[in-house]
This record gives sequence, structure tokens and C-alpha cells, in this order.
Amino acid sequence: MNQTTQGSRLEIQGVNKFFGDFCALENIDLTIEPGELVCFLGPSGCGKTTLLRIIAGLEQQSAGQLSQGDVDISLKPPRDRDFGIVFQSYALFPNMTVSDNIAYGLRSIGMAKARIRSRVDELLTVIGLEDHARKYPAQLSGGQQQRVALARALAPSPGLLLLDEPLSALDAQVRHHLRSEIRNLQKQLGVTTIMVTHDQEEALAMADRVVVMNNGVIEQVGTPLEIYQQPASAFVASFIGAMNFIDSAAVNGQRVRVGSRELELVRPMPESQDCVRLAIRPEDVHLLPAGDGDWEGQVESMDYLGAFIRTHIRLADLERLLVVDVDPRSARQLNLANGASVCLQLPSDALHCFAA
Amino acid sequence: MIDSPTLPQGASNVTSSPSPLAGLRQRLSGRWLFATLLLAGGAVLSLLVLAPLYSLLSKSVENKDGDFVGLANFAHYLSSGGIESAFVNSLWVAALSTVIVVFLAFMAAWALTRTRLPLTGWVRGVLVLPILAPSLLPAISLVYLFGNQGVLKSWLFGAEIYGPIGIIMGSCFWTFPHALMILLTAMDNADGRHYEAATALKASPWRTFWTVTVPGARYGLVSAAFVVFTLVITDFGVPKVIGGQFDVLATDIYKQVIGQQRFEMGAVVSVLLLLPAMLAFVADRYVQRKQSASFTARSVPYKPSHNRRRDAFGALMLAPTVVFILTIIGMAVYASFVTFWPYNLELSLNNYQFGRMDGGGWGAYLNSLQMALGTMVLGTALVFFNAWLVERTPQPKLLTGVFQMLSLLPLAVPGLVLGLSYIFFFNHPDNPLNVIYGSLLILVLCTVSHFYAVSHLTAITALKQLDQEFEAVGESLKASRWRVLFTVTLPLCLPAILDVALYLFVNAMTTVSAVVFLYGHDTQLASVAVLAMDEAGDIAPAAAMAILITLTCAGAKLIQSGLRLWVDRSTRAWRQGAE
Repeated sequence: MNQTTQGSRLEIQGVNKFFGDFCALENIDLTIEPGELVCFLGPSGCGKTTLLRIIAGLEQQSAGQLSQGDVDISLKPPRDRDFGIVFQSYALFPNMTVSDNIAYGLRSIGMAKARIRSRVDELLTVIGLEDHARKYPAQLSGGQQQRVALARALAPSPGLLLLDEPLSALDAQVRHHLRSEIRNLQKQLGVTTIMVTHDQEEALAMADRVVVMNNGVIEQVGTPLEIYQQPASAFVASFIGAMNFIDSAAVNGQRVRVGSRELELVRPMPESQDCVRLAIRPEDVHLLPAGDGDWEGQVESMDYLGAFIRTHIRLADLERLLVVDVDPRSARQLNLANGASVCLQLPSDALHCFAA
Repeated sequence: MIDSPTLPQGASNVTSSPSPLAGLRQRLSGRWLFATLLLAGGAVLSLLVLAPLYSLLSKSVENKDGDFVGLANFAHYLSSGGIESAFVNSLWVAALSTVIVVFLAFMAAWALTRTRLPLTGWVRGVLVLPILAPSLLPAISLVYLFGNQGVLKSWLFGAEIYGPIGIIMGSCFWTFPHALMILLTAMDNADGRHYEAATALKASPWRTFWTVTVPGARYGLVSAAFVVFTLVITDFGVPKVIGGQFDVLATDIYKQVIGQQRFEMGAVVSVLLLLPAMLAFVADRYVQRKQSASFTARSVPYKPSHNRRRDAFGALMLAPTVVFILTIIGMAVYASFVTFWPYNLELSLNNYQFGRMDGGGWGAYLNSLQMALGTMVLGTALVFFNAWLVERTPQPKLLTGVFQMLSLLPLAVPGLVLGLSYIFFFNHPDNPLNVIYGSLLILVLCTVSHFYAVSHLTAITALKQLDQEFEAVGESLKASRWRVLFTVTLPLCLPAILDVALYLFVNAMTTVSAVVFLYGHDTQLASVAVLAMDEAGDIAPAAAMAILITLTCAGAKLIQSGLRLWVDRSTRAWRQGAE
């Protein structure tokens, strides 16, 4: 595509949204840089879709301001804002051909016919559906429909692209393929993009930055790596990936007690807490052959998940089973089997610590 | 009420302020405009339904001179024995007809959906035929079959057809399709999994019937019962023609108003008729609200297996109804061609020379055609526009709630009651709208209101099925709601629009009850002419006119089917996908 859209900067300040007494969004502050792809990630009901609809103007915030570029859009109706949107259902107009769907927004702004035609052709090439221009949405596969919806939203070259769970209606394989396709297209066009999703894998794979939301508040904003490696709260830690939580007592600022043993922390502990929750990811636990360490446990069960084995280990000091991911080769070396004994270590630099 | 749409809740907290001009533009193009339009739609409905009903209610507590007399009129009607005769008669006749029709319709629906009988398409066609005929037609036909000179008089063993027997038979004929369509809808979408589960649990066919089939159709059964009861108790055509000396509320209103010119007593009886109809309406709404969709996207449609005995039983259940309907229609057709019953059985077109009889002749037929076309065009436009405002534009909840109630209200108002209300309201000397009294326009308006509710529900259902985000996508593509309406919504709703148009046309052609009070000297109607000719003793021409009406409706149905077929063909590509 020869034309690059300059994506716009979006600033959200102090946005609140109430539905009656229910607080759907509480004091949301967020700045999205031009050309960025940001994912709103959270469980259903966390307010991510409401925030997206407020950005689009489809929902009106109860309080707060939004500005896009230098323009205050807080009170503007959707039609006076500058964005394209793709819904989960795509909402393609079923009575129009692929071309007519893509041209719909161009006709709204009164573009000359010849220019509409060349712009539609250009977009058809981009999404690889040149041969399907005369077809109706019902004659396309789900993935093709999704691409048409994307092209329709991008046709008027909006400064902001909003994607509301755009991939969740598709098969796993198509979804994976479209992920990278959307990401490449977005980078190429430089359009600022917000994507709402409940699929963490999708968010981690696509986003420049992820906004993790829960119960109407932002829990953490960061790059996928930051979100995964340095979760800011126990919610983020448990929502993204798998995580073991261990309740323990604080000894001092750097040491905690788990059962009968004390562990050293690298990361700072939450201030003035007697009890803390330690957290460690299953792949960060080190397993050693039985007798090679002083912390021993028994393998309770093993789930073969292809690339790795998810092992549940019972430790004398802990109530809950510890989940450990082991690659098959190490598992063979350790002679892992149900009921087998194994020793383990919790490396200090992999331990997270949250308020209890 | 109009305040809420301008600024959504809490928006006053928003710190930035738009320029006043931009705000005004936004209001005109946005929520304000749509809310105002819906308010206007609600005002029109209030004027056409609520205001006339109010006139009727106030008339029932006034004397001839318009002084308030409290419940004196009701006391008078009570002491004259009207309650014992007409009210009780109406109730038991309607109740008995309901039981018979719902049973027959349920068995027919069962046979059509749970067996593998051949030709079910044709059988369905025959079973819904009565909907195309005015309710006067079965009454006239029954006179020919079982009347004093009837061909099957002996079958009644000396009993009189003129009275409850005739009313019940006639009512069963014309209300049957209404019950059948409700039950077919309820039973068509059966989940095959439930039947497989019953078989796997070794339930007998009998037990499966009572534990799967009947519970699955229970909402349909309740709804059908309420609909039939209301239709029968408010019907005027059948008891008028074949009721004889047997008083029911509907004929009583007519007698009080047309026969004795006692309008306030007509109003009293109307209120009494309104009560059971309202009750049935409220009860039905209550039951329907409890209904939830049991047929989900995961359900597997039921396919009946081969079973000779079950098919034979189904045929046995269908046969009497099919024969009855064909006999009634056949008799009316035959009678309309017989030169002079029963003395000269030679066939001729004499009875179709309406110019020679009372009742308005061919002029009445042409008036009916005009009236039906007017009702169709005006009604369809009004219904769809209002439904669109309710369903596809931003509206304050309160307004849509009030509007929904207003648009369903006509379902509870019997035609006779509505017609009488129109006299009181539109013929009032102080009402500036009284210029339309006696014109074709008032007949159109009355008929649109009379049949508004069902049309409204059809339109709402069609609009609800469209993707909820079309308007949002349109907004993001800088297209107004109007452009989305004309380029997307209307094309997608075309089949439903055609359905509503046919419904309004057919009902406008066949209705008697509401318009019998409202036609003027120049606006005689065909259905009323049937009544007038029957009253004057010209039964054969009355049959001929009834047949003509039925044929016209059948023609309309054919045209509509053709159009639907054409729409389906030309839109096949985008409806199902060609690959």
C-alpha cells in the first residue's frame, strides 16, 4: 500500500462510567501514542468494551475527557470523530457486495466515483480478496469476512482503528494467521489501533502495549514482556499465564518464611505487611533429582501438553499442590512419574511478592 | 420526557463545553430528532386509539344529554337482564369454541410437524384458507348447509343451526387458522435431541407425547387459547348472520346503537366486552413474558421417523378439519352460483349482479379495494417507521416503554368497540377532526389502528434480527441513520414488509366489526354489503359478495407470494451464499 495514514494520539483523562448505581469504569487515565497498537485485556465485564465504545462515542462517559490529536472529542457524536471500527460480528451489510461494503464510508464523504473505485481496488489488493469483489458477505468464509470488515473500516483512512474482539468468532487456525496479518497491516499503515480482547495470548502476541483491566479499573499498562514478567498485581499475575501462589509470613524486608524454611527475595516486598503472597510461574521452578536438594516433594499427577509436561507436586510445607512445567527431556532425566520423589528450588529472581 | 435524550446521564459532569451551535446541530441530527419523531408517532397512536377509547368510557357514564350519571347505565343494563343473557352467552360460546379450536388446531399442527404425511404443503394451504374470508362467509354457508332449507338439515336431529350451534361452528371455521399458525410456530422448532433423549430413556410414544411434545408447545397452546377466545367473543359477523334470537355482547352493541340509537347503552355493552378482551390480553402478555427460547443455536431440528401407524393417526386427525373447511367454502361458492335456492338449482351469475340489490353493489366493492389499499400503504409505512424508531434509534427507555404499550393496546380492543369509540370521538361537534367523519380516510385510520398491534410485532421482530451494530458501523463511516435505513435496513426487511402489507390488506378487505359503524353514504364497503344483503334476505348475493372478497384476498396473497419469491430469488446470493 503506497499510502500511510498518520495515526493520531489519543488521550483519556479521568473517564468514569456509571450504569445506574453500577460503576463500569472508574477514573481511567490513558495515553495512546500515534501508530501504537494497544490491547485492552480483561475478563468479561471488566469494562474494556465500554471504554472502547466511549472512545468511539457510541457510549457517553459519565465524567472525564477524551482528546484525539489536538481535538477535544469528549462530546462529539461518533459521526464527527475520526475512527474506523470492526465489531466481533463484523456487521457487514449483507445486501451489499464486498466492494460496496468497502466503498460505503467513501460514498458518505462524497468522494469522486473514480477515486472510490481506485481506493476500493487498492484495499482489495491489500486484503487479498481481488477476486471476490462482486461477492456478498454470506458467500465468504469467516476469515474473509473479517478482512472485508477491516478494509471497510480502513477505507476512509481514519486516524484511529478500533477492533472489538475481532478474532473471537474464528477458528483457531484462521485466528493465528489473521493475527499477524492484522499486525503487519497496522504497522504498514501506521494507524493508531485499539483492540479489545479477552484472549491473553492474542494480546501478548499483537500489542505494543497491553492495558489489563478488572472491575472497571486499569490494573497495569505495559509491554507484553513487562506484563508477563513484572505483573503489578496479583490479579495481573494470575490472569496472564499460569502462576503458583504461596501464602507466607514476612520475616523482614528481604526474607519470607514458607513453612519451616526462609526464602530470600530479590524484588522489594509490599511495605509493612506481616503476610504476603509469593508467586512463581510454573516454568520458573527448578526441579532436581531426588536427594540433590533439601526441599523434597512427590509428583501427584502429570498432564502431557505436547511441548511440555504440567506436573503437580505435593510439598510437605504447602497446602496447595505446586504446578511445575517441565520439558520432556528434563522429565526423562529426572525420571518423573506419578508418585516419584523430586527436589525443587524456587530461584529468588523469579519470585514475585504481592500483598496478601 | 424529552430532556433525557439530549444529554445522557451524568453528562453534565463533563468538563469541556461544546460551542452552542455544534450542540444544536447535534441535537437536531441526533437523539432529539428521533425522540421527537417517536413522540409524534405516539401522539398519533394516542389520537387513534386512546382518545376514542376515553370518549367511549366517558359516554358509558353519561345519559343521553351528556350529563354524568355514574354507573346508572350499567345498573339499567343489569336490571334489563342483559348480563344474564348476552354476557353469559358470550362467555360460554367463546369458551367452548376455544376448547374445540385449540384441540383441533393442536392435533393438526401435531400431524403436520410430527408425521411424514405427504402433501403437507397443500394441507397447510387449505387449513389457513379461512383467513382470506370474511367471518360472515361461514355463517352464510352454514345457513345453506343446516338452515331451514339446508341440504344437511337432518344431520342436526331437529336442533336449530340459528343460535349457539351455528355461532360455534362458524367461529371455529374462521378462528382455526389463527390458532394453527401460533401452534405451528411453537411446534415447528422442536429440538430433535429431546426426542432422542426420550427414546434413549425408553419412553413410550404416549409418554413422549405428554412429556416432550405438549410441554414444548405449552406457550403456544396458551397463546392460541387467548387469541381464539378474544376473536370469538369480539366477533360480530357470525352471530349477526346465524345467531337468531341468541343474544351475545357483540350483537347487543349493534342492536343498541343501530337498532335503537341508544349510544350510551352501546357504550355500556362495549365496556363489558372490553373487560374479558383486556383480561385475556393481559394474561397472554404475562404468560408470554415467562417464555424463553428453548430452541437455541445448538438445537438439532426434529425429523420424524417412518411410522405408518402414527402417519395414519395424523391423517385421521387432519381429515375432519380439512373436510369441514372445504365444505364450508365449497358450499358458499356453489350457493353464490345457484340461480334461486332451492327451487332453481341452475348455475348462473345472477347473484353477482350487485347493482340490483341493496348494500352498495359494485361501488362498495371498489370502496373496499381503495380502503384496503390505503390501509396497506399508510399502515405499513406507519408501522415500520415507528418500529424502526423504537428498535434502531437511540430513545429514552420511558418513551419506548410507553410506545410499546400503546402499540399493543389495539390487540385488546374489539373492533366493534373501536368503531363505536370512533363515533363518539370523531363525530363530536367540538372535535376539529370531525371533518373526516364519514370519509374513506376515517375507515382507513380505524382499520390501521385496529390491526396495528400484530403488524407492529412483526416489524419489531424483523428489525431485532438485524445485527445490532449496523448503525454504529454507519456512524463510524459517517453515514446517517437515515442512509443506513434506506440502504441496509429496509432492503433487509423487505420480506417482513410484504407480510405486514398483506396482513393489513386482507384484514381491511374482510373486517366488518369496526367499520360497520363508520361507513358513510359514499363509503359503503363490500364486507358491510354482505351484512346488508343478508339482512335484506338476499342471502345468495351476500354469499357471492363474500366469495368475491375471498377471491380478492386470495389474489392479493398470490401477488404477495410472487413478490416474495422474486425478492428471495434476487437476494438469494446474499441470503445464503452461493458456494
